[in-house]
Amino acid sequence: MDVDMDERQIQARFVTKLNPPFKAPPSAITIPATVTRLGLSTIVNSLLKAGDPEWETQPFDFLIDGELVRMSLDRFLLAKGISAEKTLEIEYIKAVVPRKEEEPSLHDDWVSAVDGSCSRFILTGCYDGFGRVWKGAGVCSHILEGHTDVITSVSIINPLGDVTLATASKDQTLRLWKMDSEEGVDDVPAKIRPFKILRGHSASVGSVAAQASGSMICSGSWDCRVNLWQTDVSSAEGDSVSIKKRKTKNGTEEPQLEGAPVSTLVGHTQQVSSLVWPELDTIYSASWDHTIRRWDAETGKDVSSIICGRPFNCLSVGGEGSTLVAAGGSTPILRIWDPRKPGTSAPVYQFSSHTSWISACQWHSKSWFHLLSASYDGKVMLWDLRTAWPVSVIESHEDKVLCADWWKEDCVISGGRDSKLRISSGVPVL
Amino acid sequence: MGVSIPPKEADRLKNIVDENGGSSDEFDSEGEASEGSEVSEVATEEDGGSSGDEDASTSDGSGLVDDEDENEGSEEGADANGSSSDDEKASASVDDGLESGEGSGDSDSERSEVAEESDSSEDEVAPRNTIGDVPLEWYKDEQHIGYDIKGKKITKKERQDKLDSFLASVDDSKNWRKIYDDYNDEDVELTKAEAKMISRLLNGKAPHADFDPYAPYVDWFKWDDAIHPLSNAPEPKRRFIPSKWEAKKVVKYVRAIRKGLIKFEKPKEEPRFYMLWGDDSGAADKTNHLSYIPAPKPKLPGHEESYNPSLEYIPTQEEINSYQLMYEEDRPKFIPKRFTSMRSIPAYEDAVKDSFERCLDLYLCPRVRKKRINIDPESLKPKLPSRKDLKPYPSTCYMEYIGHKGPVVSISTEFSGEWIASGSTDGTVRIWEVESGRCRKVWEFDEAVQYVAWNPMPEFPILAISVGQDAYLLNTGLGNEETQRKVGELLHVEAAKVSDDSS
Repeated sequence: MDVDMDERQIQARFVTKLNPPFKAPPSAITIPATVTRLGLSTIVNSLLKAGDPEWETQPFDFLIDGELVRMSLDRFLLAKGISAEKTLEIEYIKAVVPRKEEEPSLHDDWVSAVDGSCSRFILTGCYDGFGRVWKGAGVCSHILEGHTDVITSVSIINPLGDVTLATASKDQTLRLWKMDSEEGVDDVPAKIRPFKILRGHSASVGSVAAQASGSMICSGSWDCRVNLWQTDVSSAEGDSVSIKKRKTKNGTEEPQLEGAPVSTLVGHTQQVSSLVWPELDTIYSASWDHTIRRWDAETGKDVSSIICGRPFNCLSVGGEGSTLVAAGGSTPILRIWDPRKPGTSAPVYQFSSHTSWISACQWHSKSWFHLLSASYDGKVMLWDLRTAWPVSVIESHEDKVLCADWWKEDCVISGGRDSKLRISSGVPVL
Repeated sequence: MGVSIPPKEADRLKNIVDENGGSSDEFDSEGEASEGSEVSEVATEEDGGSSGDEDASTSDGSGLVDDEDENEGSEEGADANGSSSDDEKASASVDDGLESGEGSGDSDSERSEVAEESDSSEDEVAPRNTIGDVPLEWYKDEQHIGYDIKGKKITKKERQDKLDSFLASVDDSKNWRKIYDDYNDEDVELTKAEAKMISRLLNGKAPHADFDPYAPYVDWFKWDDAIHPLSNAPEPKRRFIPSKWEAKKVVKYVRAIRKGLIKFEKPKEEPRFYMLWGDDSGAADKTNHLSYIPAPKPKLPGHEESYNPSLEYIPTQEEINSYQLMYEEDRPKFIPKRFTSMRSIPAYEDAVKDSFERCLDLYLCPRVRKKRINIDPESLKPKLPSRKDLKPYPSTCYMEYIGHKGPVVSISTEFSGEWIASGSTDGTVRIWEVESGRCRKVWEFDEAVQYVAWNPMPEFPILAISVGQDAYLLNTGLGNEETQRKVGELLHVEAAKVSDDSS
């Protein structure tokens, strides 16, 4: 083995949790120390190719001691203080980079909200007051008409089973839409009809979130309150007075039920900009009053709050055990808190690659480490907890990105001020 | 080392000693001088005085007697000291010594010739050692301590060691009278008479017993027939005027001081340590004496005090009358007057008063240096808060609301923070969504909008605008229908149709 004085060599062994086609031979090989991620990726690819001649090159990402390698190997080892004498164990994972950029789906106005929790379709809300259901890129299957003002937030309730859609708008109401469960074939659209209007807010509704079981939703508004509503069609609680008969696009007349809030959570002093309902009785709300509060849904009491110095725009709960709270606001820094940690209100992680307000953030539903964030600087960034730089940056929007979400576990959808809904697919998170 | 004995007595004593010769009683055979016994015999005679003078033949000044040879010759052995009159006679000598008196035999005879009854110091017997004022230290390494009159070296006597000398002194009853003369390297033994003389001197009395200090004064001089004064010279003037001699001396001193020949203080020693960071002015200002604060200068007379000032200085009658109207303290203290001739100038009334007050100013008024206030002018400036205190402060521009064509002069935010209303000089009022930057509504006017303000009551989303000369209340059209209805009632107009410019 020629040891060049300038180039140090490191013994390394590649391991992976991926399935067999990706498994590289476990023997140790010697690699030069100055190699970067790209170099490592080529090495692994060549190793795999050696095993399988029809192998297609795939980008890989590498972890050493649970941290992604983002610089050349020797600098990484130096920074971490890992000795280069022993055999390094490098784990590789598929690089989380979108492979394909779908066609943009054009709206009439700014796309203010997207929801991709159901894998069959995408629900978007727009500044023209209409909600839209998309089956795929550029394929709009339904338009939800009914709101008189800008739609600020949308939510898919109960994505499995009887799907209900909720839209929140600046006309101070929320509307619930029922999707008929007769799916059938793709080209026969199921009917969507509005069945309930929820009034109760005295100011624009800024956000809406659904309970996991789907029977209740909560909404936050500019009047600093969070209201909880029932979503059953046949709800005897609350006033179910049919007031208006409106024509939907499909021409059917449906009686509109009006709903009143079941309970109200009072505590914030500024607009409630984002809500998450992860467990049966825990609601997280983020507000412009610099706090993230955790509520007990049963009692309506404010259990705890995280105080940070900035107003929050978006909130998401996920990560390991679904307990990490990610929030972004009017600073370019995306912060992640762990509410289980006793006595600290300091964020556990901070990602600061954005250059403007963060308008949306969302954890991946399955992965412990991955989340995305969208910002007014026009970029959607995918993050991995194990490294401080974004794993990938999607720059498909020309203007501010107002909302973003995951779809089908390997796509990233985002909508922005350029009135487009963009889908980036092929993101191999898991 | 010794007591000074008047020369006459010393000589006398010497002679007495010599006369009696030396007989050794308790002395060692070696060299103790026999003068001791002689001295005791002599003591009775010493009052007689001069009897021994003639016999001072063989006496030698110094009691060097170590010479065994000389010891036989008692006269010679009892060599009186050749020491000077100022010195003591060394009586006992140290044993084992080298003969310090080599030429003692010869010198003895010469030295023993002393003058009789002479008070002159010239006639004293010179000390044996002729080195004069040469310090004996120079001979400390030598074997001799000097030279005698004949030029021969006076060798040092070998001294007894301390033990032996101590023992000798214990045994010797006359030890208390023995003194070592190191100039001549001899031991001088005082006679009893000398000892008595010394004790009288130590008590402050006259050395001779026969002197009566309280004897009445016998005035030998007869004044009875003195009719003329001793001197009739008139008292010289110099007794009444400052002394000329003193003046000359003073001049001399002054010149010396000016030249720097006379120094008053010890030159200041440079301090070995000095304060690196000390204030330099601290030590220099603090002088021992009080700092001189001069008296205020008296105001010199100007034109107004003149006897005949110009006409314009003199106040008119009206002015003088107006002085009466003023308060006492405001009136001018001095009113100029004009006298055309010197005769008519009156006496200055305040002359004595002025000079008295001046004297008071000069010596009776305590003067103190006024402490000027040292205020650092920077400290008077109000302290600006530090940047940290002002945080959070805006540092980065994140949102821009683009739409106005002219400068925006007025901004107002709605109570909940959702909308911003802005008015600009291009005559438009726009309402913006805060979080997205979208312009919701535009109103257009002809003139420039000066001020916009939201209704402080959040239930009614009404905007007040000042445009040109007019003020408007605008129904912004926000809020749900109920609110709109209420606003409409409030404003007593129907909801105006406004252009919805959603750009």
